[in-house]
Amino acid sequence: MSIIEIRALTVKYARRKLAALNQLSLHVQKGETVLLLGPSGSGKSTLALTLNGLLPQAVGELREGSVHIAGLDTQEHSVADLAQTVGILFQDPDAQFATLKVEDEIVFGLENLGHDPHTMEARIQQALADVGAAALRERPVSALSGGEKQRVALASLLAMQPEVLIFDEPTANLDSMGTQQVFALLAELKSRGEHTLVLIEHKLDELMHLIDRVVVLNPQGGILADGAPRHIFDDFGPALQEMGVWMPQVAMLAHELRRQGVELPLFPITLGDAVRAFRPWVASVHPETVETAAPTTQSTPAMQVKDLSFSYGDLSALQSVSIQINKGDFLAIVGANGAGKTTLAKHLMGILRPPLGAIALEGGEFTDIPTKAVARKIGYVFQNPEHQFVTETVWDEVAYGLRVMQEDDDTVTRKTQELLETFGLARYAKANPFTLSYGEKRRLSVASMLALGQDILILDEPTFGQDERNATALLEILRGLNQQGKTVIVVTHDMRLVLENANRVVAMSAGKVLFDGAPAELAGKPELLSEARLTLPPLARLSALLATEYPHLRNVLTLDNYLGLKH
Amino acid sequence: MQTLYQPYDSPLHRLNPLSKLLVSIPQMTLMLLVSEPWTPLAFVVLTSLNLLILGRVSLRRFLRLLWPLLVLVFLFTALYPFLVRQTLVQHTPLLFEWGIIKLYQGGLYLALVTGLRIMGLLISSLPFSITSDSADFVRALVQQAHLPYRIGYSTLAAFRFVPMLQSEMSVVQAAHRVRGVDSQPGWRGSLERLRRSAVPLLTTAIRQAERTALAMDARAFGAHKHRSYFRRMRFKTWDWIYILGSWILSGLILLALRYFGLLGSLHVLQIL
Repeated sequence: MSIIEIRALTVKYARRKLAALNQLSLHVQKGETVLLLGPSGSGKSTLALTLNGLLPQAVGELREGSVHIAGLDTQEHSVADLAQTVGILFQDPDAQFATLKVEDEIVFGLENLGHDPHTMEARIQQALADVGAAALRERPVSALSGGEKQRVALASLLAMQPEVLIFDEPTANLDSMGTQQVFALLAELKSRGEHTLVLIEHKLDELMHLIDRVVVLNPQGGILADGAPRHIFDDFGPALQEMGVWMPQVAMLAHELRRQGVELPLFPITLGDAVRAFRPWVASVHPETVETAAPTTQSTPAMQVKDLSFSYGDLSALQSVSIQINKGDFLAIVGANGAGKTTLAKHLMGILRPPLGAIALEGGEFTDIPTKAVARKIGYVFQNPEHQFVTETVWDEVAYGLRVMQEDDDTVTRKTQELLETFGLARYAKANPFTLSYGEKRRLSVASMLALGQDILILDEPTFGQDERNATALLEILRGLNQQGKTVIVVTHDMRLVLENANRVVAMSAGKVLFDGAPAELAGKPELLSEARLTLPPLARLSALLATEYPHLRNVLTLDNYLGLKH
Repeated sequence: MQTLYQPYDSPLHRLNPLSKLLVSIPQMTLMLLVSEPWTPLAFVVLTSLNLLILGRVSLRRFLRLLWPLLVLVFLFTALYPFLVRQTLVQHTPLLFEWGIIKLYQGGLYLALVTGLRIMGLLISSLPFSITSDSADFVRALVQQAHLPYRIGYSTLAAFRFVPMLQSEMSVVQAAHRVRGVDSQPGWRGSLERLRRSAVPLLTTAIRQAERTALAMDARAFGAHKHRSYFRRMRFKTWDWIYILGSWILSGLILLALRYFGLLGSLHVLQIL
């Protein structure tokens, strides 16, 4: 019997014209691990909410069809009843806590169901042991790291002993350490075989060996494809790329090679597959054709940081940091959460006022320059684009900075129009910024920051929470600006972004600079990477594996590097 | 949210938050009513001993908590005699005169009384506030004072939301500064700044609240009229001993003050 049975389900939200899910039917067998993919807005999260009855009981409207979980109709049984069958782990670790302490959080659901303290004690111990968090029991949730928070949140679900577990982008807000923790838990759950797992996730390479089945939603909220992972990524790859859906990096490489007429003996979806699949192709590569990144010749300083230290109260955030940022750099500042990346970036912008002599801008003393003049030189894009919106229309948002700088009306109109077109936002000129999609908001925040033609642009986690297509589009814009001679500084923990775009990387850990140099060089230093708590992207790991046999592959780190190999 | 609470294992920490409140509230009420310096002084000493002995508050932390209170009381005592209505104190001896500034003995006395009362009022709240875990307090309110549990849990949620909104607010304002938003001086500027920050803040707050609500619903919150509790809050023997002991001790202090003629009259409404 199927544990999840969805029949011709149509779901709508109030004040939306289109249905979020459209005549969707899906059966999941007990014990299956299903990966749910789809472009943003295709209804993945909506589908997750229908599985425990939150939709339609708390939000949304179920127009047609039905959902049965373990034989229970979600429209007839309360969310409370279903909570013992289905648990959902949400994306935002902070928003899913109801209490202040770990133990309180674990018992929260059990208390709601009226269990007695004896049962609860046993369940607490079991649940915390299951997620390897027994030591966290007495901690306040506010003192946990992102990965720990997700582990505790999962423990609070496991305590209710659900058969079905749903993971709605559980690693989207985590750094690579936290992500590894969550993935390790998933592997553990899968190996125990007690649960049916439904995953929504886009960091796929490390997960694929756990997945039994992939279901792809189309933009209309129906099912585009449903089947074994290898079959889906092999046959539907181009369609997925078209829709901007993430897929395993090794599968993407296989498709690109196929376009060049290369047939592989096996279509790879995991790293293990990829080593076998690519080995014969790699064997015929001419070692001397492997390009090594040209060292940067430009060395006019744009900004210099000298011996900068900073602390939040007793907490040291930066310890005598010294770096030089050159004109035309595409610089990435990387490190785990709390390494001091954002604190450093805020000093570069003067959001945190640097001490005298610590930062020089184009050779001059930074502290002497008034904030307004700094804003003419440097643009800063915050992590959450909404934070920066100050006006009521998209047009005004871009024009704002120009008006502040008292440009004349013609210039304002011309430049605003130009920028809106470059960023594909012209048709939203009259819309309220808050009504845009996440990717559009992000583009708008960059566009409005560039209005003044600043030479230096600083971005805090620019690809955070975006789908493949939006992330790629934004990076293309940034590379374009960089090629025009602008200095781009990106704060990130996404090593793929770094290897594909940056010409220089500064790796930080505990407020100190661990490494300052070429990205490829950092990629070749595993001990530094682990100290900075960074993980290499899948294709770089693939080349590290292949390099044991073919050492010349050591510097092949990105998709473009692979495609540039000559035979 | 940053509260004064510090986790520790002391007799006061182990008490039910409500029993500490049942001692603090009458004391604080008393501080509002007295009109002479001896009662507040006695209770300041009593509460200090309570904190140091039963609360196991280190002398260092005690002084750190106390000095802002002392500064406040000192400033108050220093300024009060000049601000008090002169007709109230004109009949008492004049201690000092410089131009239009006059210091009467009565003014000084009233200042001392009021300063000590404020000190007594603030310090009386400490045994509760620095030794009670907010989650335990909410639990006790729900389980023993029959506060509806939905309200109790909303209060707990607020404890997490306030710091989130605080940090969000500072980020939004930094983001706006970076855009070159000038804050005009005066109330117009402040109003405009508030309006501009309000939209992103509200957006975040509402989104966060919705997510929290969904996550709570998904774990059967509100399923039944009554829920069970892993940690049962009740009055134990020590709670009764603390409550009754404190009341009896307070009564004895008041009787003694009265016996020595030091306890003045108690006023419900009195001129400060």
